[in-house]
Amino acid sequence: MRQALYDRLVAYIIENQNKFYRLAFSYVQNQEDALDVVQNAVCKALENYESLRDEGAVRSWFYKILVNESYAILNAKKRMILTDDSSCWEIPYEEEGFEPQDDLYDRIGRMEKDVQSIIKLRFFEELTLNEIAEALRMNLNTVKAKLYRGLKTLKVEIGEERGV
Amino acid sequence: MAEAKSRYEDIPIPEELSERVMAEVEKAQIRYRKKTAGKRRRTFMKGGMAAAAAAVVLFTAGVNTSEVLARELQDVPVLGTMARILTFRSYESETEDLKISVDIPSVEMISDELSGMEDAVNEEIHMFCQEYADAAVERAEDYRQAFLDTGGTEEEWEAHHIAIKVWYEVKSQTGRYLSLAVMGSENWTSAYSETRYYNFDQEAGKWITLEDVLGKDYARIAEQSVRRQIEQRQTEDGVEYWLDEWEGIDEDTGFYMNSAGNPVIVFEQYEIAPGAMGMPEFEIVMSGEQ
Repeated sequence: MRQALYDRLVAYIIENQNKFYRLAFSYVQNQEDALDVVQNAVCKALENYESLRDEGAVRSWFYKILVNESYAILNAKKRMILTDDSSCWEIPYEEEGFEPQDDLYDRIGRMEKDVQSIIKLRFFEELTLNEIAEALRMNLNTVKAKLYRGLKTLKVEIGEERGV
Repeated sequence: MAEAKSRYEDIPIPEELSERVMAEVEKAQIRYRKKTAGKRRRTFMKGGMAAAAAAVVLFTAGVNTSEVLARELQDVPVLGTMARILTFRSYESETEDLKISVDIPSVEMISDELSGMEDAVNEEIHMFCQEYADAAVERAEDYRQAFLDTGGTEEEWEAHHIAIKVWYEVKSQTGRYLSLAVMGSENWTSAYSETRYYNFDQEAGKWITLEDVLGKDYARIAEQSVRRQIEQRQTEDGVEYWLDEWEGIDEDTGFYMNSAGNPVIVFEQYEIAPGAMGMPEFEIVMSGEQ
């Protein structure tokens, strides 16, 4: 029933708002933008709830919107900064001997956008690979390939560091 | 990876987040309400007859014992000499995660010449209460399932303390009018809260509509008055009402008769104003020519 589906969506959003915020923050790296991302995503989701066909798909459907909104703000920022001529907001922050967990988290944040999203959705948000494929509108095999390649890169780097 | 995840989960949540999310939910609630309002709202004038057959079954099934009924009859408010309202059926149930309380009112005409006038309305009220409670339980169950499906635990779910309430209020009991409001609500969503009003006019000897009170031109008269009052409140209180979303008065608009004998139009929460305004009420003061 439509009404029940709408209500599930509202409940889902209220229930999981903290998760949405964290994911948004992991992309945009500041509170104001992260709040904007979540608010925009909630607005769009509730406006377009009719495009949500399947009750089971709420999660991947909402993450799709959330990731898109995060990208949109990042892109807008990037354009602004490029024209701004201030060199960059994405300078890798690395310091020898820094705590390893900081490095891994930061390193994920500096990966290629798709890979970054796949890793975050898989390990932080615990989506299934199928859900990730839906959320990022990718082929399941592409998701798998990118995930394994991404993990390999991370492991290699971690390994090298530990070896030093 | 576990450490990266815990760092991710340590991202602090600003207090503002829930405000911003709820603001969007509220805004969407209006759009949604508007879309479904036509389908959901129904007065006993329209729906009562169709429901009658089913209601008879409920009626007989609803009275547990005549003893209970007799006991409840003793402490009922008596409305003039016209009618009294009694709790026809009352039940409560509470499990770890769901609390339901239902009070179904029943109208009983006292004077012989009016007896029978209450039957259709009682059936309508009983139907409404029962249907509301059943649907609310179903919605809570759907919500629970969705919560568990998305990774919530039973314990976390119990912390929601879902409560469903169906109850009634006698809005006024003057020599002439009897106004009864029957309400259903759920504590976790306001999207389904519903109130129905029943107004009996002893002089006219019938259940009345806005048209009976304000005349043929009732929709225009009431709408003008409401708009005027909203304008005034907006400037006085600085609260923004959502008049763009409002479709005006029609035969389904809820109202009760106040002690001055004027109709008071009541909107559902979120129907025309932010949730903080509760259920906005507008008294339509009838001018001299009435």
